[in-house]
Amino acid sequence: MIGIPTALLLGTILLLLLLFVAARGSVGAREPTSRSDVPLLDDEAALDPCPPEFVARIFSPDDWEFVSATGSPQLEKLFRRERKVVALAWVHQTSLAVRRIMREHTQAARHSRDLQFVTESKLVLLYAELMLLCGMLFLAIQSAEPQRVRGLAIYAGALSQRLAQAQHDLQTMTAGREFHSAS
Amino acid sequence: MLIPKLPKATITNTMNATVRLVPVQAAYDDLLQRSLSKIPCDLARLIYLASTRDYNSGNYHHDGLAARFRPDVAGKALEIAHRQVFYQLSAYSLEDLVKQLRIYLDSSHESAADVLRIWQKLEPYRVAIPMEVNPAVARLFLSNVRLALAIWRFRQEQALKNP
Repeated sequence: MIGIPTALLLGTILLLLLLFVAARGSVGAREPTSRSDVPLLDDEAALDPCPPEFVARIFSPDDWEFVSATGSPQLEKLFRRERKVVALAWVHQTSLAVRRIMREHTQAARHSRDLQFVTESKLVLLYAELMLLCGMLFLAIQSAEPQRVRGLAIYAGALSQRLAQAQHDLQTMTAGREFHSAS
Repeated sequence: MLIPKLPKATITNTMNATVRLVPVQAAYDDLLQRSLSKIPCDLARLIYLASTRDYNSGNYHHDGLAARFRPDVAGKALEIAHRQVFYQLSAYSLEDLVKQLRIYLDSSHESAADVLRIWQKLEPYRVAIPMEVNPAVARLFLSNVRLALAIWRFRQEQALKNP
């Protein structure tokens, strides 16, 4: 049985470690993007979370089964390399999109007069969870095949959509309130 | 072939006035019925739609459609159709994409081996990506086409080895 101070210390170390992993993941995931396949499409400002059906496709085990059925080691190797690059690019894009959403939200919150503590806390927690997930996914994809982390990726994809939706709803609500108070 | 209806959100986002929605929808429907439905597969549709885009301006041109509607309306319909087909194709499994490639190669007037060689060397399908699509989806598309080409080539080689 450990005491509360030890548990707190361990918790803090674990949190710092995970934050480090998240930051490393985000920076590391930049690498495949810098060897850009589609440089003209890498406009950070325009990034939105990837639609869920494509997240499921990137991490789908079906394609791997199809390729391994050919019995060609070269094709299997090519598939693993290709899919890893796509999956890492997706992690990078998700992390950029999440940061952009939070940046926009922070800017909007600075001018808002009726911030709600509970809502803001939920958003911050969602943001932290997503960044951690991106870090974990980055490490997992590097060490295993993308199809093995399908569930985690789909969960992260759904969370990023939820964050984008929450930010959009808040923006709409704030605009509505400002319109009413001005009229 | 499943021809999707023009998504409402896309129309609303891309057009300024409601009054302009109807011509774009009509031009889109016309494009689907007269041109796209006659093309044998989505991969060929994508290549066709990409070929209607000007390399320098990025604008889409189609003489027949522009004559029936207006050039800007025709351009918008082509742009939307291009994006729509691209997303459809990107959502395909690798197995289905290999099938698409086979249909495309079978319908091509060139020899399949030549098309395959050129596609693997020059990667002309890279210019078939529409503007303003999700970058992760664009990467998935490029990667899947590369894989589909490698699988097709592997099958060809196997067929030659074991006739």
